[in-house]
Amino acid sequence: MPGWDVHIANQSPNRRMLRRALFLMIVCGIVAFTVLVLRLFYLQILRHEELGGAAMEQQLRETTVPAERGKILDRNGTLLAMSATAYNIYVSPVEVRTYGEDKELIASGLSEILGVDREKIAALAGDSSSWYKTVAKKRSAADADAVRQFKNEHGLRSIKIESDVLRCYPHSSLGAHLIGFVGADNTGLAGVEYSFDKQLTGESGSVRRLKNSTGTDMLFTGYESYIDAENGSDVTLTMDVTIQYYLEKHLAQAIRDYDIRNGAAAIAVDPNTGGILAMASLGNFDLNNYQRLSEEAETEIARAPESERAALRSAAQQRQWRNKAISDTYEPGSTFKIITLAMGLEEGVVNEHSSFYCGGSMNVQGRGKPLKCWKTAGHGSQSMVQAVQHSCNVAFATLGLRIGEETFYRYCRDFGFFAENPDTSAPLTGKTGIALPGESGSIWWSHDVFCNEENFSQLAAASFGQTFNITPLQMVMAVSACCNGGYLLKPHVVASVTSPAGEVTEYGREVVRQVISESTSKTVNSILERVVSDKKEGTGKNAYVAGYRIAGKTGTSEKVAQNMVTGEKEYIVSFVGYAPADDPKIVVLLLLDAPSPESGIYISGGQMAAPVVGAFLADALPVLGVQPQYSEEESRRMDRAVPDVQGLSLAEAAEELKKSGFACRSIGAGARVTRQLPAEGSVIAEGSCVLLYADAEPSGQREIVPDLTGLHYTEAREVLGQYALFLRSDNAAMTDLDTVEICGQNYEANTTAEHGTVITVTLLDRDEGAYGRY
Amino acid sequence: MLYSDVRFRQTETAPPRHGGKIDLTLLLLTLLLLGIGVLMVLSASFASAYYDLQGETGGNAAWYFLHQSVFAVAGVGAMLLCARVPMRLYHRLSPLLMAVSLLALVLVLFVGVRVNGARRWISLGFTTFQPSEIVKVAVILCFPRLICRFGDRMRSFRYGVAPFAAILGVIALLLVLEPHFSATVILLMLGAVLLFLGGVSLGWYIGGFTLLAVGGTAAYLQVPYVAARVNAFLDPFSDLTGDGWQIVQSLYAIGSGGLLGLGLGQSRQKYLYLPEEHNDFIFSVVCEELGFLGATAILCLFAALILRGFWIALRARDRYSFLVGSGISAMLALQTILNVAVCTNLVPCTGISLPFFSYGGTALLIQMAEIGILLSVSREMPGNG
Repeated sequence: MPGWDVHIANQSPNRRMLRRALFLMIVCGIVAFTVLVLRLFYLQILRHEELGGAAMEQQLRETTVPAERGKILDRNGTLLAMSATAYNIYVSPVEVRTYGEDKELIASGLSEILGVDREKIAALAGDSSSWYKTVAKKRSAADADAVRQFKNEHGLRSIKIESDVLRCYPHSSLGAHLIGFVGADNTGLAGVEYSFDKQLTGESGSVRRLKNSTGTDMLFTGYESYIDAENGSDVTLTMDVTIQYYLEKHLAQAIRDYDIRNGAAAIAVDPNTGGILAMASLGNFDLNNYQRLSEEAETEIARAPESERAALRSAAQQRQWRNKAISDTYEPGSTFKIITLAMGLEEGVVNEHSSFYCGGSMNVQGRGKPLKCWKTAGHGSQSMVQAVQHSCNVAFATLGLRIGEETFYRYCRDFGFFAENPDTSAPLTGKTGIALPGESGSIWWSHDVFCNEENFSQLAAASFGQTFNITPLQMVMAVSACCNGGYLLKPHVVASVTSPAGEVTEYGREVVRQVISESTSKTVNSILERVVSDKKEGTGKNAYVAGYRIAGKTGTSEKVAQNMVTGEKEYIVSFVGYAPADDPKIVVLLLLDAPSPESGIYISGGQMAAPVVGAFLADALPVLGVQPQYSEEESRRMDRAVPDVQGLSLAEAAEELKKSGFACRSIGAGARVTRQLPAEGSVIAEGSCVLLYADAEPSGQREIVPDLTGLHYTEAREVLGQYALFLRSDNAAMTDLDTVEICGQNYEANTTAEHGTVITVTLLDRDEGAYGRY
Repeated sequence: MLYSDVRFRQTETAPPRHGGKIDLTLLLLTLLLLGIGVLMVLSASFASAYYDLQGETGGNAAWYFLHQSVFAVAGVGAMLLCARVPMRLYHRLSPLLMAVSLLALVLVLFVGVRVNGARRWISLGFTTFQPSEIVKVAVILCFPRLICRFGDRMRSFRYGVAPFAAILGVIALLLVLEPHFSATVILLMLGAVLLFLGGVSLGWYIGGFTLLAVGGTAAYLQVPYVAARVNAFLDPFSDLTGDGWQIVQSLYAIGSGGLLGLGLGQSRQKYLYLPEEHNDFIFSVVCEELGFLGATAILCLFAALILRGFWIALRARDRYSFLVGSGISAMLALQTILNVAVCTNLVPCTGISLPFFSYGGTALLIQMAEIGILLSVSREMPGNG
C-alpha cells in the first residue's frame, strides 16, 4: 500500500473540488437555513394564532363546577328539600391496564364496601375500551372514605372518587306531589322541583385546565381559568307542612276506612291569596327514593309473569307519581251546585227564599227521558236554602234553566272551567295555569252544543255538575271565588324565591277576574254553612265540627264512562268545605275515587267525604289561627276534662264533679278521695260516671273492650261505664242525634284495656232518609 | 498537477503534520449546541418519562436527561480523543473501519435487539449501539481515501461511480433489511455529496435525480406506507388522528411558540400529545418553548457550525482532510436541515434525528467523534500553530 505522503501530502483539492465545496457550503450553511427560518416565521408568527389556538383547544379541558341547588321551604321556613354532598365511584379500565392493577382485587374490595356485584365490577374494570366506568352513584361520605382508604392502602390509581350532589327530603313522602323530585343529573322531574328548576339550579361554573392527552393535569403549568358557579335560589312554598300532614293523615285514614280503590286527592287552598296550603294525592311515595313502589304494588308485580313485570313496574311508578289533584279530571257532581247557586243569586233569578218544587223528576226540552232527582220520592216544596241543603237535582235543573244557557256558559267560563274559543263548534278546555307540571285541561261542551235553544239537556245536567269534566283544582278555585268575595284567583304554590344574594321575589294574590259580587258571596256562604250546620236537613252535616263555622257541599258522581266499559258501578265521592263561613281562611276539596261497596258505609259524599273534611278542618283551623268558639248548647254537650277531686271529701268531690257535668261512684270505706279514675284532665263524654277511690286502690284489672259500632253515644257511654271504661268522640258535634251512630273506635272490639281507659270513637250520621247520590 | 492559486495557505511555510491548535470557534459552537441540546432533552422528555411507569424510565422524569448527560460527557471525551488522532491514521484505518461496520451491519440482522419490528441495535451488555451510525463515519473516512487514490480518474464510470455505488448498494441493502430507511436515505445522500466533492461528472446526478423521481413516484403509487406518509405531508390536517397526528402535533407546538415562546420547560405539547418529543421532534419543543427568536438563534448556531466546518475543510492541508472535513460538515448539515424540515412539514416524515439535541447515545457519541475529526483537520491546517 502506498504511503500517506505519496498519496496525500502533496495532493491538494483541485479547483473543481473547491468550487463544489464552496457551493455546498453556501447551500447547506446559508440557503437551506434561510428557508428554514422563513418557514419558522410563517408557522410561528403568521400562523401563531391559528395553530396555538388549535393546540389550546386540545389541551384545555373544561370541568363544570355544579352550582348548589336551592332549598325548598314551607311557608314557615320548614325545610322540605335540600342538597347534600354525595360521591360517585368510578373505575378507569384504561388505567387498570396501564398500571397493571389487579382487577379482581378492585372488584372484591369495592364490592365489599359498596355492595355492588363483584362480577359486575370486574367486568367494568376489564372493559379497557373506555376511560371511565361508573361503579356506584350518590354514595355517602362514609362509603367514599372507605373507598379512599382501600384505594390508598393498595395504591390503586384506577379507582376514582368524584363528589356529586344528593337531594334530600327530610319529610320523605310528605307533600311529595307538590315538592317533586330530581333525577340523577339533579334536574327537576316533578312538582316544584320541575317547575322552578331554573331558579333552584342556578348557574354552574367551570374550570378550564391544561390536561395531557390522557386527561390528567399537566405538571408545572399553572394555566387555569375559573368561572364561579352561582348557587340556586331558595324556594318558599305556600304550603304548610302541618296542614299538609293533617290532610295526608285524614286522606290516608279515609282510604283505609272506605277501602278506596283508585286513589284519593285533596287540595287545601287559601281563598284570599290563591296559595296552595296543602295538596295530596294518595298513594304516596318517598321522595328520597322516588322509584321505589309500595309493598302492595311490589307484591302485585311479583305475582305477574316475568315478561310483564317491567311494564307493570313502569306503570305503577307513573301512577304513584301522578298528581291526581291536578292531572285527573272528574265529573264534579253536586259540589258544582255551589257554582250554579252563585250564578243564580248574582243574576237575581233567585234569592234565599225562592221556592222550588221537586216531584222526583222533571221533563227537560231536548231530553228523551225525564230528569230524575236522586230522591225518587221528590223533595216536595222547598226554599232555595233547602234545595241546597237537600242537594235537589230538580231544583237546580230548574235554576239552571232560569239562568239561561248563554249566561250559564259565560259564568262557567268566568269561573275558569274553560277558556273561550273563537271556534264555537270546538269542544272547550281550560287550565288554571298553576306552576306545577302535569296539569290537565277540562273537557267541556262546545258553545254550539251547550247553547242550543232546542236542547236544554246539557244545561240541565250541568246545573248539578254532570256531563263535563274538570280538575279538582279548577273546582276548588271556583269555590274559592264564590266564598272570597267573588274573585277568581290564579292558584300558586310558591310564595317567594330568595336568591343567594338575598333578593326576594314574592308571588302573591293574582286576581284573574271578579265573577260575582261581595254580597252574593256572603249569601252563598250563609247558605252553604247551613248545609253543614243544619242537623236535620243538611246533607253535609257529617262535616260539622263543634266550635267552627264550616260551610260546604257534598258531591257524588258516577264514573259514567268507566261504568259503561266495566259494567261495575264506581263512584267518586267528594266534599268541598271551607271555614270559617263568615271569613273563609281555608277551602278544601277532598275526593275519593272508587270507594269499595264492602266498607259497610253508604257510598256518598255526605257519608264518606264530609266527615273526613270536618275532621281535617278541626285539625287545620287552629294552625291557621282560628280557635274554636263553642255555643252554650255545644259547650253543654261536649266532652270535657275531668277536674282533680283527689283529697276532697266524697261529698265535695261529688259536688265538684256535678258542676263539671259528671256523675260519680265511690269505692272503699274512706271519707276522702285518694284516687280517681279517669285521671284529672282526661277528656270524656258529658254525663260519664267518674270512679272515686276512698282509701282504696284501683284493681288494675283489664277488661275486654265491647263492640260499640252502631250504638248511640249515650248508649256507648253507659255500656263502657259498666266496664269502668270511658268514652270520648273525635268529632264530638252531634252526639245527641237519634241518627248518629258510632262507626269506629280506637280500641278494637275484643282487645283488652285497663280500668279507666278512655275509648275514642268516631260518630257518623246515618240518616237513612238522606241516603242518595247527592 | 499543482494549483498554486488554490493552495493559498500552503505556499509559505512547511505544513505542520500534527500538533497545531484545535479550532476554538468550532469547539465552542459544538459545546454550546451540546449544552443546549442536553438541556432540551430534559425539558422535552420529562413528561413522557414521568408518565411511562411501565417502561424503562420507571416514572423518573429525569431518566432521559441523565442518560443523555452521560453520553454527552463521553462524547466530549470522544471528541477530544478524535481531535488528537492525526489524519494520517484515519486515512490508514478507514478500510478497517469500513470492514468492521459492514460486519456489524450483517451481525445486527442476526443478533440485533428488535424494537418495533426493526433490528437496529446491537447490545454490548452495558449499552447498545447502532451500526448504522458507525457506517456513516466509515463512509466519510473511506470514500475520500478512494477519491484521493483515483484522482482524475473519478470522472470515469469505472472509478468515479461503480466502486462507490457497489459499496453504497451493499450498505443500503443491509440497512433496508433491518429495516432502517432514514439511515439509508442519509447514507445515500452522504455518498452523493462525497462523490460530488470528489469531482464526479454532474451528468450522473441528473440521471440519479431522474431515477429518484421515477422511483419515488412509483413508490408513492405502489407502496401504501409511502403513500400514507406523503399524503400526511401534503395535508396533515386531513387525517388528524391517523398519519397526520404526529405532524399536526408538531405544527401545533411550533405555532404555539410565537415570537418569544412559552418559556423554557413550559411546552404543553410534550404532555403526551407530541410523539417522539425528545427525539425526532425535539426541535418542535424548542420552537414551542423558546419561540421564533430562540429557534432562529439555535438554527444560526447550527449554520455557524456548518459554515465553520466547511471553512476548516477548505483550509485543510491536503485533499483527504478536505474531503473528510467537507463530508462531516455536509453530513451535519443534511441531518439538521432534514430534521427541521420534517418538524416544520417541509418534507415528508422520515425519522432523522437532530444532531446534539435528539435523545440517543450512539448517535451523540458519533456526532461528537465527527466533530473531533473536524478538529483534527483544523489542527493540521497550514499556518495553524
